[in-house]
Amino acid sequence: MNCDIVLVGVGGQGVLTIGDLLLRAAFQADIPASYAPTKGMAQRGGFVLAELRLGREAVGPRIPMRGADLVVGMERSETLRGLRFARAQGTVLLFDHVWEPTGVMLGADAYPVRDEVAKQIRAVAGRLILLDPADLPRVDGEQVSPNVYVLGAMLSVSPLREAVPKDAVERVLAERWPKRVAANLAALRAGLARSAGETER
Amino acid sequence: MGGRSAEVPRRIVTGNEAVAWGALRAGVRVVTGYPGTPSTGCVEQLLSMDLPDRHVEWSTNEKVAFEIAAGAAWAGHRALCAMKMTGLNVAYDALISIAYSGTNGGLVVYVADDPGVSAGMAEQDSRGFARMSCLPMLEPASPAEAYALVQTAFELSEAVGSPVFLRSTTAVALTHTALEIDEPRPPRAIEPILERDIARYTKAGAAICQAQHRDLLARLDRAEAWLREKRLNRVAPAPRPGGLGVLAVGAVSACLYEALEAFADEVSILKAEASVPFPAEEAKKLLEHCTTILVLEELDPYAERDLRALAQRIGWPGRIVGKQDGILARTGECSVDDIVRGLQVAVGAVPEPREAVPDREAEGGATAAPRPITVCAGCPHRGTYLAIEAAIEKAGFAKDEVMVTGDIGCTILGMNPPFDLLRNEVSMGSSVGIAQGYAHAGLKAPVIATIGDSTFFHGGIPGLVNAIQHRVPLTLVVLDNGWTAMTGMQVNPGTADAHQAGGRRVDLERVLRGLGPNRVLVVDPYDLEATTDALAESLGHPEDVNVVLAQRECAIQARRRGAVAGRVAVDPEKCVLCKRCLQITGCPALGVSTARAVDTNGELRGGIGGSPHRARIVVDPALCNGCGLCVSFCPTSALSKEVDA
Repeated sequence: MNCDIVLVGVGGQGVLTIGDLLLRAAFQADIPASYAPTKGMAQRGGFVLAELRLGREAVGPRIPMRGADLVVGMERSETLRGLRFARAQGTVLLFDHVWEPTGVMLGADAYPVRDEVAKQIRAVAGRLILLDPADLPRVDGEQVSPNVYVLGAMLSVSPLREAVPKDAVERVLAERWPKRVAANLAALRAGLARSAGETER
Repeated sequence: MGGRSAEVPRRIVTGNEAVAWGALRAGVRVVTGYPGTPSTGCVEQLLSMDLPDRHVEWSTNEKVAFEIAAGAAWAGHRALCAMKMTGLNVAYDALISIAYSGTNGGLVVYVADDPGVSAGMAEQDSRGFARMSCLPMLEPASPAEAYALVQTAFELSEAVGSPVFLRSTTAVALTHTALEIDEPRPPRAIEPILERDIARYTKAGAAICQAQHRDLLARLDRAEAWLREKRLNRVAPAPRPGGLGVLAVGAVSACLYEALEAFADEVSILKAEASVPFPAEEAKKLLEHCTTILVLEELDPYAERDLRALAQRIGWPGRIVGKQDGILARTGECSVDDIVRGLQVAVGAVPEPREAVPDREAEGGATAAPRPITVCAGCPHRGTYLAIEAAIEKAGFAKDEVMVTGDIGCTILGMNPPFDLLRNEVSMGSSVGIAQGYAHAGLKAPVIATIGDSTFFHGGIPGLVNAIQHRVPLTLVVLDNGWTAMTGMQVNPGTADAHQAGGRRVDLERVLRGLGPNRVLVVDPYDLEATTDALAESLGHPEDVNVVLAQRECAIQARRRGAVAGRVAVDPEKCVLCKRCLQITGCPALGVSTARAVDTNGELRGGIGGSPHRARIVVDPALCNGCGLCVSFCPTSALSKEVDA
């Protein structure tokens, strides 16, 4: 099963880590994959975009406009910059975190409200899965990592669900952070359950 | 995926890393380079490995890097030199001369172009350099091809005695994929070649140079024959003649097959893995088999021009579709969508208007908030920019009267809000030369040049020497954070001894003093007052060559070592939300509690105190590096810097 994914967000949110984990899971499961992260210039706080192509051998790393099966936005405003990639029958997964740029905090620039962004997503893509950061679960009193939660939510979405086996992702997670296995698995499963629930609505 | 050998380990690598692994497999002995996106990962990979029988380094600049590689190759070893496209401009002076002399050991120049400009700088097409110096150039379309072609490049280099270019682009260099990577081979155990042959290794006289020129052209001819024999440029003709042919050069061929998935017509394809010399024999076959040719290449239409010239020479009557007829763009990456459009035009299908990228503003929907990048929290450059602004004011000038030139690297972020200070960015070290031009132009206010430490070592020193010799009045601010930071923290001549891996630190302050400007003032940019005073003193001597050296290690690197300067705390009772701290510093660690109530971990930022809902400034402890610059701008003393004992 082929799956083309575009990830957008702000540097420091773990956007590139999601792509890297999926790439490694695909590698372990022997699935052809290419992963092209384009970072902003700043260490943190700049726009980040990454393209992940799963299941196909002989393609370039760039996903055509309106060609992505899944667009994942980790930040409300930056998600808008990923929408040009969304396929009409595709899914946009919005983790509705708000990270206002300084210009917005100073009142110089406008920041989009949630409903506007959701409306715009619905105009281009078949399906919107909206995750509220307030719903992030806690494990042992600590908030779980948002990017692992989002990664879990992604895993319920077809065709990623069919493209990469969940246990490969779990293995890669455990290898990456051996000291946080329980918390990360909980985050992953919570995300997965949350978006799977969305499907049934 | 069949046929995979069980013994060969697979790894996830980028195109850059694939070049590094391929060079190891080819038995490379010396690898040099200068960091620059998108090429950096090649030398980075090798520096992360324990390679006792090889020499790998970040050199002072690309010209030095290439000269080192060439010297090793003249002595008979295999050598690789890596750089971004603009680095090739720097190396080129040495490179074209060495091209005339040829090489003994394999000498490969790895250059990464950036069509689409992911990282700033001119969108240049490095194939022009290969053509001008008559050196072969190979062009991988994927990390797998990069791994194979760097090995081919070494073989070709030795087979014809010529340096060889390996050119990748961002889409190849930065893409991660899984590859089978063979065991590295050790460098050959040879006695170094120590030749005296002035006819080959010098440019002493017309007879020598012209003979070298003829030799150079002969080597390129031999390269063409060698490439043909190795079948690097392959024609796959469609079963029936008379249809559409595609000439695809380098990275675009990765997109071609995807574009052809939805294309019904049979297509003949010439996939060129070598762009210089032009694969004329193979192109002739393609022309003779087809009636229309679509030429796919990124940036300049070099292959298209060669193909049109060939078609004219052999009297081919068909049609060539490409950039010279305006069908395809001369800028940016070539996408699958571009190729589909080219194919449609080439077969005479009504050229469908290209599906427009949705324009948010035109649709009246929400637009993404602008997010200009700024320096990191705790960046020492923030202090220097703020001090330059304060010193300009103190010296009695308005900011808009003063020319402040900028240079390459993190220091250029002074062009962005909230500083809006720097007015230009040219090339490594150019801030110093451009400033002198403005100094001669009769400006009423002093001229200030800004440059980072690595950029100064790379290309800024000659400019300062010139200013001193000609007594050009200016103030040069060297922002020394001890690292080549923008490209991902590489070691440079000024980096501390502890990180020099067998090398040693070059003392930047002594270099500056040794050159002999009228004054050199050394400051800590976290000390805003002292930095402002030093700059004001310099601006107070408008007839002198002044240098201010602002020294403080990059906050990101300091933090990675566990050295954080302190922590900034907010007293929620005192904060009146005037936002001066935010407005003046633009620090990404500062926020407003209502706006950024939930951090990336879902928790309320800052200490809650008794009134979680009252809006106020908050400091993100995950970002704050404790420079304390914001503290000095708080009118109500709500911000305070705490230093761990």
